[in-house]
Amino acid sequence: MGRNLHEQRVERQLLIVLLPSLALLSAFVIYPALYSVYLSFTNEALVGPGALAPRLVGLRNYARLFNDTKFWNSLLVTFVFVLGSAVIGQFVLGLVCAMALRRPIRLRRIFSSIILLPNAAPEVVAGFMWISMLSGGEHATLSRIVAAFGVEPADWLNTFPLAMIIVVNTWRGIATAMILLTAGLSTIPSEIYEAARMDGATPQQMFRRITLPLMMPTILLYMLISAVSTIAVFGLVYALTRGGPGGATELVSIYIYNQSFAAYQLGYGAAVAVIVLIIALLLGVGYVKAMKVEI
Amino acid sequence: MAAIAPAESANKGRSDLLAYATLSIISIFCAIPFFWVLLASLDGDAQLFLRWPAQWTLSNYARVFLTEDGAKWLFNSLLVVGGATLLVMILAGLGGYALSRTRASWKLPLLYAILLVRVLPPTALVVPLYKVLLTLNNVEATFLRSLFGETARPIMRWTGFIDGYLGIILVLAAMQLPLALWIMKTFFDGLPRDYEEAALMDGASLLQRIRRVLIPLALPGLTAAGLFAFMAAWGDFLLPLIFLSSPELQTLPLGLFRAFLRVNTIDYGLLAALAFIYLLPAVIAFGFARRFLVQTFAGGVKG
Repeated sequence: MGRNLHEQRVERQLLIVLLPSLALLSAFVIYPALYSVYLSFTNEALVGPGALAPRLVGLRNYARLFNDTKFWNSLLVTFVFVLGSAVIGQFVLGLVCAMALRRPIRLRRIFSSIILLPNAAPEVVAGFMWISMLSGGEHATLSRIVAAFGVEPADWLNTFPLAMIIVVNTWRGIATAMILLTAGLSTIPSEIYEAARMDGATPQQMFRRITLPLMMPTILLYMLISAVSTIAVFGLVYALTRGGPGGATELVSIYIYNQSFAAYQLGYGAAVAVIVLIIALLLGVGYVKAMKVEI
Repeated sequence: MAAIAPAESANKGRSDLLAYATLSIISIFCAIPFFWVLLASLDGDAQLFLRWPAQWTLSNYARVFLTEDGAKWLFNSLLVVGGATLLVMILAGLGGYALSRTRASWKLPLLYAILLVRVLPPTALVVPLYKVLLTLNNVEATFLRSLFGETARPIMRWTGFIDGYLGIILVLAAMQLPLALWIMKTFFDGLPRDYEEAALMDGASLLQRIRRVLIPLALPGLTAAGLFAFMAAWGDFLLPLIFLSSPELQTLPLGLFRAFLRVNTIDYGLLAALAFIYLLPAVIAFGFARRFLVQTFAGGVKG
């Protein structure tokens, strides 16, 4: 009985020390997420009649969104961006780095430090550095590099905008993929490879039959984490292109920003945000399952 | 140790060579943009493209502080990001401890909720968040003005929710809190309960337990949580862009971005110096965080 009372007291204390965190998250994340659903049914705006007396407009924002080609374009751009940079670019290069760094070669620490570096660059600095790499026509660093292979210089950021932001975001995220996949690789016991080698398996066979299948849980978790964080990318691309030219790099995050804070249509921006929240939550449910939470 | 057959050793040499070649190419890809920032910031006649400086100089750095408001931007960034980091460490230290030790029925649902909150993109949250903070800000402004009249303005710069230090600190902290809570919860899971139970038997109060036992034990976990919060908040551009507007409150990312937008007078040397100043704390923090990277992500893999 006394033991039980004591436990109740401890539980109450634990709840009390947890409360500040819960309060901050409720006020600044959970309540806004729910409030965005309400906002999306209003004509709330930062200027004009919607700012003075916002009212409910039913599904009007969603109807507008459904017929808005710029919205569909931003979803498509985001999809290609996530596919190109997170699912393909970062994953392939991260896996290559993780496997190469498993070999007992010299300079391992230096290589991995350099590969980690882009991850540390603040969004705006990364964008600014890449403007220098890509702009400036024939003097641009990229132009001079590809000139060695006989490729004509170009105004990269204007000619291939979407491909370029994919390259830049791949550059920024190799490290995350490399770290996660290295952790995954280290869980595969080396005896399995030894046994396969005894049986005369080639490296390609070992990769396809051993490494890939055993890495699947890690790969799945990586895909979910990187998809979710890539949907949230804003500053890097905004600093590079501000969504241009002509909406070619207008990610849905930039579209929300432009609608809400450049066109001042908060209600409409909230409707787009709700769609993004739903997509993120769907991926999030998969993420929660893949995490296998232990208590 | 078994002798390696010559054919096998040649094979090994070839794959090692392949590893060196791939890693070298990827490393060059990763490093080149940094060379430009470093070289252009030291170039008296910096250009937008990579080149060896024509004349070496430190004047670009001097101008960041003398002709631009670099010192103010740096101070604001350190204050805002430092404040948010400290807040995250305190909240996550306490909250992570509770999440790890509790046996209550709300434990599992809450852990799921924290993971889900982590996936919500800030870009989708800023619109409603702006409305929430605007309302809070107006209430506070009305209240303060009725008390202090015109002197309310300088107070609002510190305590305002929109365009005030308090608001941006709270928002930055809220966005970094879920990951920090998770790091601390995982950390305390790996910490034996013996010490606390001994302290509990000695009749130590909760506060005494926190001060004498938990803080010293939790220091490595708190360092990791703090470093990750610092790096993410330091590099963030969206939140200051939306919640700060007056020039006195500008932080480094805003200063750098707006300096770059002054199209007709682009001064690449100055911009590169500013970018390097902004980059340096992030790289230093990353250097310290390196040994926690694998733990944090691998912990994510194992759950």
